[in-house]
Amino acid sequence: MVKMERFPFIVLVAGLGFFLFADFVSWALPIFVLKDIPMKKVSDLAAEAKAKNTSAWADFERIAQYYPEQFKKYYGEVNEKSFQKALEIGHRWYVAEGCWNCHSQMIRPVSNETLRFGIPGVSNTVSYPSEYQNELQAPVLWGTKRIGPDLIREAAVHNVDWQVAHLYDPQTTSPGTNMPGYPWYFEKDKNGNIVPNERGIGLLTYIMWLGSWEVKPTKEWALK
Amino acid sequence: MATATTTAGEVQVTNLVNYTLVKLHVAMGLIFFIIVGLMGFLYSLQLDGIYPFPGIEFLSPGRVRMIHTAGAAYGFLVNMFTGLLYWAVPRFTGYKVFDEKYLGGFLFIGLQAAVLITVVAILFLGQADNVEWGETPWWLDPIIVAWLLLHAVQFGTPIIKASQKAPLYVTGWYISAMLVWTPLVVFMGNFIPRFWSAGSGAGAVQSTFIHDLVGLYVTPVAWGLMYYFVPVIMKKPMWSHGLSLLGFWGLAFFYPLNGVHHFLWSPIPMFAQYSAVFATVAIEFAVTSVLINFMMTLRGSAEVLKYNVPLRYMYTGAIFYWITCFQCAFHVTLTFQKVIHFTDWVTGHAHLIMFGTFGMWVLGMAEYVWPRLFGKETMYSKGMSEGAYWLLTIGVIAMFVDLTAAGLVQGFDWIGLNPWIDSVNFSKPFWYFRSVAGIMMLTGLLMYAMNFYKTATAGKGLEAQLRNA
Repeated sequence: MVKMERFPFIVLVAGLGFFLFADFVSWALPIFVLKDIPMKKVSDLAAEAKAKNTSAWADFERIAQYYPEQFKKYYGEVNEKSFQKALEIGHRWYVAEGCWNCHSQMIRPVSNETLRFGIPGVSNTVSYPSEYQNELQAPVLWGTKRIGPDLIREAAVHNVDWQVAHLYDPQTTSPGTNMPGYPWYFEKDKNGNIVPNERGIGLLTYIMWLGSWEVKPTKEWALK
Repeated sequence: MATATTTAGEVQVTNLVNYTLVKLHVAMGLIFFIIVGLMGFLYSLQLDGIYPFPGIEFLSPGRVRMIHTAGAAYGFLVNMFTGLLYWAVPRFTGYKVFDEKYLGGFLFIGLQAAVLITVVAILFLGQADNVEWGETPWWLDPIIVAWLLLHAVQFGTPIIKASQKAPLYVTGWYISAMLVWTPLVVFMGNFIPRFWSAGSGAGAVQSTFIHDLVGLYVTPVAWGLMYYFVPVIMKKPMWSHGLSLLGFWGLAFFYPLNGVHHFLWSPIPMFAQYSAVFATVAIEFAVTSVLINFMMTLRGSAEVLKYNVPLRYMYTGAIFYWITCFQCAFHVTLTFQKVIHFTDWVTGHAHLIMFGTFGMWVLGMAEYVWPRLFGKETMYSKGMSEGAYWLLTIGVIAMFVDLTAAGLVQGFDWIGLNPWIDSVNFSKPFWYFRSVAGIMMLTGLLMYAMNFYKTATAGKGLEAQLRNA
């Protein structure tokens, strides 16, 4: 028993042994189980959005039409490259701004969550592993606290117009909300209108991308 | 240990501890405690809808909240614990730390620099990391791991020396294991989910990280220090050595297995979720054995709690610890999780353990150490000492009860499929009350800090006065 009270025994058995055993069970095994799910890069996600013409792609085109001056200035043309750039910038600021402190990105199979988040019949599925197997979920953005609603099925819930107003001043779209406004994602265009800037366009693209792969059937935006 | 005699042995004992390092770390820890408390209070004002700085980018509530959590981990807890280790480790081992002047100074400056860089990066540069409790920017994490390795050398050296001579005291077991665990935890939690894994696999690692930073850094240091300070203050040994062994090995085996319980009902494979639930329920038995040991040690000496504020902090924290763990054994089940996951129940739980237990413990230990560092017999003011204790205790109980209730309201409201804004409106009274509890806690902290400042700066006259009284 006295051996148990010596430095080498404690360090080897408790410090390394138990720790590695626990990590084997609680994260190495899950990673092995999930290893066959292909890992997607941001460029793959952009290519997929375009190829499948998901709602995210349509929304991206819509943002380009709404704010042509800013879009041209910061992102150029609507293509896979610019979509990828917008996703990356949007994700970076979603993380930096701490959005994930109040908005989760996980629909659990219990507590009526599939009914609450997303639009019933359109995009109200429970979360599954493969939709998180990409670079934008490393580290994963499930979150641990909801002050606001879950966002992983947001694409079908609100449109771009709503998101823009909401991001600038949440009270305009959701009276009584305690979400702060984010005016630093906006700037003035040459006519003096308040429009999203580079980060703003990125963030809007990212939010409209969340759950766009689940929106069925693909939204047909009549852009004329 | 160190009595107020002037024998040759006493001189040696005093020289073992570098007072400057203890003072610096404890003082910085206290300053950061107040700062992160203020940050949490600011964030709570946003929930109340009365945030005082709307529309200012670098004071955005989301960023402030990350300073609250990351600052609590590195600014407050690491500073406090390191300071207290500088006091306790040389005393229970009988050997000095590895190097006081260069390594000690470097560790101190390095830690403050890491915290300040984190604050600047999160508030001004938008460089946060979406690992809860590891919000430090990812490029800073290798430096933190290096810091932890040096910190292991610093405190590991005296422990290894002592271990070669005789079996280690309980404190030594906890600290030795922690010195190995912490760098591993920080490295794995911050790098694997970013570079080697994504999605559900990353989620499993991140949840293990959230839990292990509490369970394999904060908890072992804190229990190790408790096993040192409680018998020293009461001047009697722990009640049962067997229970000490059981508590330590129970924690060491089950704690690391708990992590995935932060993401129950998630896309993480179910076997990992079930094992986490099982291990979490199991660890409550280990915790109870530790609590029995401490309570039985108190038996016959309970009146000490009446006048000894540091010991009262420690036992209050220990009771909160058991409440938290008892609560955990229930809400870790998949049934409870249906209602309380993502709600303020969890926030209440986190505050009870981090503030109610570990906060109270380090405050108690610091209050024991602080007058001794300045050659005083007691703190400057008994009144401020008592006032701070009661404000902190009542404040944290109020916050815990309030947030637990708020969590139930939110959970059932969400299940009921009411419009989302309803859950916000229903929560508002609870959030207002939480801010009031926050004010109580902050007032208590400021009172505590004032007492510290006065104890350090009040002249010799006070000392003489106390002796005469």
